Amino acid sequence: MVDLPKKKVGIIACAGEEIPEGTISRVAARMVLEEVRPEDTVTLCLPLFLSGDERERAFARFYPTIAVDGCEKLCAKRATEKYSGPVSSYLVVDKLLQMRGLSPGEGRHKLDEAGQRAAEVVAQEIVSQVEGILGAKRIVAAAPKVATAPAGAGTTCACASGIPITQVKIGGVSVGLVALEPIFEQFYQEGRQDGPGLDEDLMKTVKLYNHVPPSAEERYKAALLEEYEKFCRRKRG
Amino acid sequence: MSRKEDNKVLIIPCSGIGKAFGSVGREAMYMVVEELRPEETETLCLSLLTLGDEEAKERVRSHPVITIDGCPKGCAEENVKSVGGRSVANFRVVDTYREHPELKVRSVLHLGEAGRKLARILAKKVASQVDTVKMKEEMTDG
Repeated sequence: MVDLPKKKVGIIACAGEEIPEGTISRVAARMVLEEVRPEDTVTLCLPLFLSGDERERAFARFYPTIAVDGCEKLCAKRATEKYSGPVSSYLVVDKLLQMRGLSPGEGRHKLDEAGQRAAEVVAQEIVSQVEGILGAKRIVAAAPKVATAPAGAGTTCACASGIPITQVKIGGVSVGLVALEPIFEQFYQEGRQDGPGLDEDLMKTVKLYNHVPPSAEERYKAALLEEYEKFCRRKRG
Repeated sequence: MSRKEDNKVLIIPCSGIGKAFGSVGREAMYMVVEELRPEETETLCLSLLTLGDEEAKERVRSHPVITIDGCPKGCAEENVKSVGGRSVANFRVVDTYREHPELKVRSVLHLGEAGRKLARILAKKVASQVDTVKMKEEMTDG
């Protein structure tokens, strides 16, 4: 049995230092990561999108990601989408608190009672979004088995986690695809080296980990099949 | 805005969310900005810089900046330098920890007493660096 990395939900918090809502975003994210859903969630430091490498920038393509922003500037959402990939969902702390009639409190350093209550409410909202994403993904992922987490991701921090990326030429352009090798390995070990629907199934699995522009699906499908045939030839020696 | 307010030293920690030293750096920053040198320092959301916000870029270019990093990736320093910021000093939490290995941080979310002590020691170093920067500026101003 080949292990594809277990599907977890990525949480990117803005952690803005200047406002209480930034601290609330950070504390709420950590509550979910450490205490509420440690098995299902993973994070990455937001500034790593700029100072990190390609593995870190693959984060939002590898994990369905929730951005947690303190204010309407949406730094977490926008930076994730700028450097990594589209987010699955996002929430804005000050907006959420306004809707619930709650105060962020006064402290950006140490959360006061109101801030702590606000962080708990935000954490609940993150969990609700995590459940929404995992519920939907589990239905899609029913065919390919998903198993253990990638090396280094078990601690909920995904920096330098070794997210596997393979460069593939698609329509003459080099595209970095996440988790391609383990996906190919799984198909190979399941004895699926040809046959009807292979390209569709490969595509479906690859899309779990990669954003595929709808207009380019046919080109991706052809390229995936070609790459998979090469992979099978290498395996057969 | 007075010259003094306009010329504050920006203290920017990485606030790394994945590792406990990120929390120590953030805690140390707040100790400096809110307790030790509130008149001379301010902070800035690092996420704004990461995003490329123009106002944030202008602030780090026009103010002296001290960065605090929680891990060797050096995100705070790298993000400031990448936009041409006036980085005058960088502190790494691990260096202070090496001097005080008995101060073990409990977790990212809860530093614990030892973690807060570690942050306090680091904060004093940063505050001292702030004094050096201000002194140099006063000498330059004549």
